[in-house]
Amino acid sequence: MKERTAGPALLILPALIALGVFFLYPLLSMLVSAFTDPEPGLGNFAWFFGEQANMQVLGRTFSTAFWVTLVALVLSYPYAYAMTIAGARARAILTLLVLVPFWTSLMVRTFAWVILLQDTGVINKALGALGMGPFSLIRTQTGVVIGMVQLLMPFMVLPLYAVMSGIDRRLLPAATSLGAHPVKAFVQVYVPQSLPGISAGCLTVFISALGFYVTPALLGSPTDALISQQIFTQVNGLLKWGRGGAMGVVLLGLTLAMIALLAVTLRRTGRKVTG
Amino acid sequence: MLNHPKRLAGTAIAAASLLLAAACGGGAAAPADIDLGSGPAQSGVVKKDALKGVNLTFVSYGGVYQKGQQDAAVDPFAKESGAQVLQDGPTDYAKIKAQVDSANVTWDVVDTDSIWAAAQCGKLLQPLDYKIIDKSKVPDGLATECSVPAMQYGMVLAYNKDKFGANPPQGWADFFDTAKFPGKRGIPGNPGDSAPGPFEAALVADGVAADKLYPLDVARATKKLDTVRGDLVFWKTGAESQQLLESGEVDMLMMWSGRAYAGIKNGGKFDVQWNQWMPIMDSLTVPKNAKNPKAAMAMINYYLGAQQQAKLTELTSYSPINTDAKPKLDELGTSFLTTRPEVADKRLTVDDKWWAENQPQMIEKWSAWLGG
Repeated sequence: MKERTAGPALLILPALIALGVFFLYPLLSMLVSAFTDPEPGLGNFAWFFGEQANMQVLGRTFSTAFWVTLVALVLSYPYAYAMTIAGARARAILTLLVLVPFWTSLMVRTFAWVILLQDTGVINKALGALGMGPFSLIRTQTGVVIGMVQLLMPFMVLPLYAVMSGIDRRLLPAATSLGAHPVKAFVQVYVPQSLPGISAGCLTVFISALGFYVTPALLGSPTDALISQQIFTQVNGLLKWGRGGAMGVVLLGLTLAMIALLAVTLRRTGRKVTG
Repeated sequence: MLNHPKRLAGTAIAAASLLLAAACGGGAAAPADIDLGSGPAQSGVVKKDALKGVNLTFVSYGGVYQKGQQDAAVDPFAKESGAQVLQDGPTDYAKIKAQVDSANVTWDVVDTDSIWAAAQCGKLLQPLDYKIIDKSKVPDGLATECSVPAMQYGMVLAYNKDKFGANPPQGWADFFDTAKFPGKRGIPGNPGDSAPGPFEAALVADGVAADKLYPLDVARATKKLDTVRGDLVFWKTGAESQQLLESGEVDMLMMWSGRAYAGIKNGGKFDVQWNQWMPIMDSLTVPKNAKNPKAAMAMINYYLGAQQQAKLTELTSYSPINTDAKPKLDELGTSFLTTRPEVADKRLTVDDKWWAENQPQMIEKWSAWLGG
């Protein structure tokens, strides 16, 4: 009997070893270098929190991630809802529209945005024909948010759709038949039931956005760099791996704190909705 | 010793990769016993089949430049010497550090920025053996203990000739004069890199004499840069600067001469003001603990030959290092040779030694100004 249980467990051993060598080891060595390179102690963290510029970058990283999450949610919610009420063929088209860009390389899509957003690009030409603009889109935070929203939207749409497709929509006519305004019925009956999808989507998008490198590097201006670009500066430009490690540790710590915070609030609101 | 844990972990990784290498049937070989022939080295020449069975990796910045290096020097070298030469890139300083730190160096000849090479001499880079490399045709002072120049080019002022052609900007003072020359300006703006260019231009524009630039007064330079901040567009790669020129998104650009040439050749409506251009070089270097240093240096020696340098210039527009090189170029290409006396005389002298000593602080100050 014992053999039977040990066998399948052994099968995941190669995966665990691979994770250890290629994921855990680099993570740990970065952690170690944050506290030991160039000398042991908290020097790298003292430097990080002592520099005004670092605090600005940290703030900008979080505000960018916040805006990306918000815009993605506002756009994805009606989209996912449309997917649940559409017929089979329309749903297939809507799903494809989300997935095809998702399957295209991040680099290719970002370069496409570089072409679209430039001052002499298609978007500004179209706006110009309508008598507006030209707007500075590329090398601004707006451009970064536009690009990141497009890249991360599938991570919002898919969990929303997964949860929404499980909600019994007959509850809406039931609520209106009991006297609720359709809007009120939607907000009070439908939206709370979609909360698990909202939180899963928001969390995934927010955390991915915090660590984005390529898109802000290509669509943004160095004057509004995000933390991953500053890490690159320390590691690659200055060869100060300890500082880069410390920045990584700070980012990881703040991300974990965000997840914990969200988990607590979700449990509270969850209790309110069901209880 | 607190860096021991790191080394221990490095050993673990090395052991793991050794296992992998063994599985692939490889394994680290001792440096090949190389006979480069007797007598003094001669640039551009390698003994036939002297490097049979030796593997080398050449690393550069990619694009037209690395293709040119490959066609002009690296591939012919491989063919004559019998070495197997792989191409890798782009040059990445963190990767060099990782290789040297883990004592597993897979890059043999690396094209780097010359200032970085000077700063890393004896640290991440090893001294070159001038018994193998013949530097007699390299202009005095350009070959250093750990590097030889790979080519020469410059940071130049390119301007929109449709807009300013009748009354072109005369130098960096006009670059900063947005009243007389309205429009957006592109400048290099990579937070992880700071090199001769923006600071020098700002100081010259602010009235500092060309021979009194160093040590750079960063506070004064950034104050001058602040005055045009709203008109600046920052490019992070050469390709991006060329794209800015070709799309006409900016009216003036501080950019590398090679990229200006490529952009103008592609139809960009720009001209170059050679007044106050700043010379720059790339350098060929060999990382510390490279597996076949002798072979790497033989490649550098070959690269410096007059024929190879002439061909490299014809393919890339970058100026040759070998004083005997006679590239055949069209009119536009010739106008971009930084070695022509009429252009050479207009240059602003850049103090590479000062930069090598101060670059880390300059990167921090530059990155702070960009983000501020």
